[in-house]
Amino acid sequence: MTIDDRSLNELIVESQDLQVDALRDIKATLPELAEIREERRTSGINVDEINRYNDNRRSVLHNMGIGGGGLAARGLLGGGFGALLAGLFATPAHADEALDIQILQTASSLEVLAVATYGAALTLDFIKNGNPVVIKFAQTTMMQHDEHRKAFQSQTKALGGKEQTAPNAKYKPIVDGAVPTLKAPLDVVNLAETLETVATQTYLMNTTQLEDTASKRVMASVMGVETQHAAVLRAVKALLMGGAPELIKIPIGADAAKLPAAAGSVAFPDAFEPVTAAAGADTGAVK
Amino acid sequence: MTQETENHMDTEPSALDQLSSSAFSRRKFLIGGTMAAGLAAVTAACGGDKKVESGSSTTTAGDTATTTAAGGEGDLGVAAFAAGLEVLAVGTYKAALDAAVAGKLGDVPPAGAEFVKTAMAHHEAHLAAWNKVLKGAGKPEVTEPNAQLKPVVDAEFAKAKGFGDAAKLARTLEETAAATYLSAIPSLMSKDAIKLAASIQATDAKHVAILNFVLGEYPVPDVFAKTDKAAKPA
Repeated sequence: MTIDDRSLNELIVESQDLQVDALRDIKATLPELAEIREERRTSGINVDEINRYNDNRRSVLHNMGIGGGGLAARGLLGGGFGALLAGLFATPAHADEALDIQILQTASSLEVLAVATYGAALTLDFIKNGNPVVIKFAQTTMMQHDEHRKAFQSQTKALGGKEQTAPNAKYKPIVDGAVPTLKAPLDVVNLAETLETVATQTYLMNTTQLEDTASKRVMASVMGVETQHAAVLRAVKALLMGGAPELIKIPIGADAAKLPAAAGSVAFPDAFEPVTAAAGADTGAVK
Repeated sequence: MTQETENHMDTEPSALDQLSSSAFSRRKFLIGGTMAAGLAAVTAACGGDKKVESGSSTTTAGDTATTTAAGGEGDLGVAAFAAGLEVLAVGTYKAALDAAVAGKLGDVPPAGAEFVKTAMAHHEAHLAAWNKVLKGAGKPEVTEPNAQLKPVVDAEFAKAKGFGDAAKLARTLEETAAATYLSAIPSLMSKDAIKLAASIQATDAKHVAILNFVLGEYPVPDVFAKTDKAAKPA
């Protein structure tokens, strides 16, 4: 396995410069949040907002500790429950904020878990003493996830919520169970691909649920990066499984001609990114 | 329409209803940004940050109503503009495939040929999805490529001397598409339109990552997906 360290390092430096620019863009949107929030508070109830809230009220109610999702899901609003929900509908902006905050907390929790997982992988002998491109990818990806965490936590605070600093409660036990079984690079790649796919599809789904524009923008932006992580991991997995680890190198150069045909399609199995692996919006909410 | 598109749209039964019934005109569609250096001329062609005031222009070729996507207001404006980009992508990949078969791009790696076929199929599916949205809302389907970008893309493609040049052009198109969808998402009103745009954005971003790798570059250079290469209506 070979690598042009100088070229790769130059690319990493360039990436970090781009990161600074991107962070500046993201931070520039934060001051808009207060204005948007106030604007939403003063607006009246509209049908779209109520429909949206109806779609998500089960998880909101669960998060508020009052349960009863079955009734809510069927829209059977009677008695005290109906009164309670009617009361919530009377303040749609606040309800939306609760859901938006919950979504951002869950996103933060997935990023915390991703950072921890890549960090753990980098301590494994077969990774830290292995392919330098894989090491660089793990280090760079971990850094990118940490920036995503910061962005989601900032958005959470901007909306008046408590930032989530703990790993995702649903997926942490899965990662904890998997880490002791990691015996080869392919095992790590599989685990990382799973996390990246969950993050991508969770953010895709949540981009449709968010009401806050700035949060939506950040969510879609991060989603576009996590899906690239997943694509690279799928390609790496295919090369490892195909017995061609020597082709995991940057720049690939003339060896691009040696890449198997499948390398041109394995990274994107679907024309449309699905959401079947999306985590629930409340799986990382601060309780 | 591909089977994959059919399956996707079958799982989105409310998309057309929502798109056709929601208030598309409440917000004007705005896409801003610049193209990559290789397509810098398009930037000038597209102008600055403009809000789209006009809808699509419709012409008739034979019995088929065709539309040149010029933007328009609301979600349907985004749909028409996106469809124009997808037509352009499909046409460019088709031209690359034809050139490769004719030996005009030199030796094409097997993975490169597979990429072109796969990406073209994806963009065909994306085009079909947007046209289904438009047709469902009573609008004409878009069958013509984005008029501002096509001449520049054609000129760049004519300069391609090998697969590497074609791959760089493909990457620019994919970056433009992904950035355009990302830029449009905050302005979309319908949840289904957001989901469709985001799901395509993800696919195009993956295309970019693999093209980066094939071109010898780091595959995921950005911490946050950016919109600076987003196309915008004239």
